[in-house]
Amino acid sequence: MSALLALQDVSVDYGPVSAVRDVSLEVSEGEIFGLVGESGCGKTTLALAVMGLLPRSAQVQGRIDFQGEDVLALPEAARRRLRGDRISMVFQDPEAALDPAFAVGEQVAETIRAHRPVSGREARRRATQLLTEVGIPAAERRYGDPPHRLSGGMQQRVVIATALANEPALLVADEPTTALDVTIQAQILALIRDLRDRHRTTVILIAHDLGVVAQLCDRAGVLYAGQLVEVAPVERIFDAPEHPYTKALLAALPTRAHGRGSLPVAGGRVPDLADPPPGCRFAPRCPVRMDACERVPALTSREAGHVTACWHVEAEAAA
Amino acid sequence: MSAVAVVLRTRRRLRGRAAVGAAILVVLVLVALLAPVLAPHDPNAIDPSRVLAGPDASHPFGSDALGRDVLSRVLFAYRVSLGVAVGSVLVAMAVGIPLGLLAGYHGGWVDSLLMRPVDLLLALPALLLALSLIAIIGPGSGVALFAIAVIYLPILARVVRGSVLGVKGEAYVIGARARGVSRTGCMLRHVLPNSLGPAVVQASVLMGFAIQIEAALSFLGLGAQPPTPSLGLMLADGYQVLQQAPWADIYPGLAIAITVLAFTLIGDGLRDHFDPRGVSR
Repeated sequence: MSALLALQDVSVDYGPVSAVRDVSLEVSEGEIFGLVGESGCGKTTLALAVMGLLPRSAQVQGRIDFQGEDVLALPEAARRRLRGDRISMVFQDPEAALDPAFAVGEQVAETIRAHRPVSGREARRRATQLLTEVGIPAAERRYGDPPHRLSGGMQQRVVIATALANEPALLVADEPTTALDVTIQAQILALIRDLRDRHRTTVILIAHDLGVVAQLCDRAGVLYAGQLVEVAPVERIFDAPEHPYTKALLAALPTRAHGRGSLPVAGGRVPDLADPPPGCRFAPRCPVRMDACERVPALTSREAGHVTACWHVEAEAAA
Repeated sequence: MSAVAVVLRTRRRLRGRAAVGAAILVVLVLVALLAPVLAPHDPNAIDPSRVLAGPDASHPFGSDALGRDVLSRVLFAYRVSLGVAVGSVLVAMAVGIPLGLLAGYHGGWVDSLLMRPVDLLLALPALLLALSLIAIIGPGSGVALFAIAVIYLPILARVVRGSVLGVKGEAYVIGARARGVSRTGCMLRHVLPNSLGPAVVQASVLMGFAIQIEAALSFLGLGAQPPTPSLGLMLADGYQVLQQAPWADIYPGLAIAITVLAFTLIGDGLRDHFDPRGVSR
C-alpha cells in the first residue's frame, strides 16, 4: 500500500493559538482512517488544512503531500481543482452544509460542472444517478426539492452524493453522523463503508465517538490538544492502547460494567491553546507524568504499525 | 390559549396584511399605467369657469385653483411619483447591492476602499444631500430620482454588506468551496441569493419613503417642474387654497398615504417571510 496522503510536521496557528502542532501522519490508499479526539482538539482544523479551506487568519506550516504532490505549495486555482474532484469533504451538520436557496440536485450537479465540461442536462442526469446511488428514493422527483424538505439522514446522503460526484480519491468525513439520530447514523456509516468497498475511496473519518471509529475504521489516530499522541490499527487502539490519554478516553466509554455508577472521567481540563504546556500537552492531566514530559515526545513504535508519543511508554519499553 | 396558537394567529394576520399591501400596490400600478385611459379630463386643461369648483359627477375630486380636474391630475402625478420612487430604488439597488456584496465578501482593503465613500454619503443628512445635488444639477423629476437613489445607495449597500458578512461564514458556503466552486462562483451563486432577503425588505420600505421624499422635493419646487403634474407640486398648490378647496390637497395627500401604506405592508410581509422568527425586528 502506498501513502495517498502524507502529513509531515503540520502545524496550524490562529494568531497566538496553536490549534495543531507538528502532526505527521500517513493515510494509505483504500483505507478508512479514523481521527479521534474531543471537541477543540484540532480535528476539523486538520481536515480544513488538507482541503485548503482554512480562514486566512490561519497560518499553516509543514508539508501535506497528496498523491505525491505538496498541496500547500500549490496556488489557489490548483487547490480549487483538487477540491470536490480528487479530495472532497462531508460535513458534520448536513442541514447547514446545504444551501437553503438551492435545489438539492442542483448542488450535486454544480459539483460536477465545477470540474467537468459537461452540459447542464448531462450533469443533471449524473446527479440524479448519484442521488439514487446514495440511497435517495425517487431521486428524479427529489432533485428539485430544497434541502429543508428532506430529513436529516436524507440531507446527509445528498451531501455525500456531492462529495462523491467526481469520484474522489480521498473523502474527508468530518463527524458525518454527529448531527443524526442513532438509526440513521448506522445507515450513513454503512453507506460510507459500502462506497469505500465499491470505489476504493480512501476515507478520513473524523469522530469524537469511539464507537463509530470501532465500527468503520481500519486504523485510527488520537489527537489531543492539537498533538497526535497515538496511531494504530483500530483493534490495537481498543485492545492495547499505549498512550495514557487514549486509555483515559477508553475508560470514559460507557459500558455495562459501570452499571449505574458514575463514569470515570479524566481529571483536569484541556490546556489553553494560546499558552499550551511546552512538552507533551497531556502532561498536566497525566497520571504517569515524569520530568521528561517537559519536552515534546516523538511518535515511536514498539509494535509494527503502532506508534505512540509518550515518554512513559518509551521508558517502560526500555526497562 | 396556548402560546403556539397565538403565534400561529399572528403569523396568519401578518400574511394577510402583506396580501392586502400587494393587492393595493397592484391596483396602484395599474392606475399609474392606465392613467391616460382612466383620466376623465386633460390634466393640464385650464377651465376658468371651474376655478376651485367642488366635486361633482364629471369631476369627482373637484377642481384646483386654475380649474384643472384634480382626479386627472392625481392620476398623472401618481405616474410621475411612482416612477421616481421605483426608479430611484432600482438604481440604488443596482449600485448598492454589488457594492455591499463585494465589500462584505472580500473584506479587508476591498471593504475599506468600497465602503468609506459610501459611509461618507451616509454622514450627510438625506434631504440636505438631495438639495445640494439639485443645486448642482438643477431641478427636475429625473434629478429627484437620481438624488433619492444617492440617498438610498449607502443604506442598501450597508444592509447587503451586513447580511453578506453573516452568510459568507455559513457552512454551506464553505461546503460549496469544498466542492470546488470558485470564490466568485460562491459569491454569486450562494452568498448573493442568501443575502438578498433583508435588502428586498429594506427596498420595499424605502420605496414608500421615496414617494414622500419626491413629494417633499416637488413641494419645495425642486422636483418635477410645472406643468408636469406631481403629487408634491399639487400639495404645494393646494396648500394655498386649503380653506376654500380642501379637495385640491386631500386627494394627492391620500394618494401618498395609500402608497406608503401599501409599501409598508409589503415590507412587513416580506420581513416576515425572510425572517419568520423576527430576529431582525
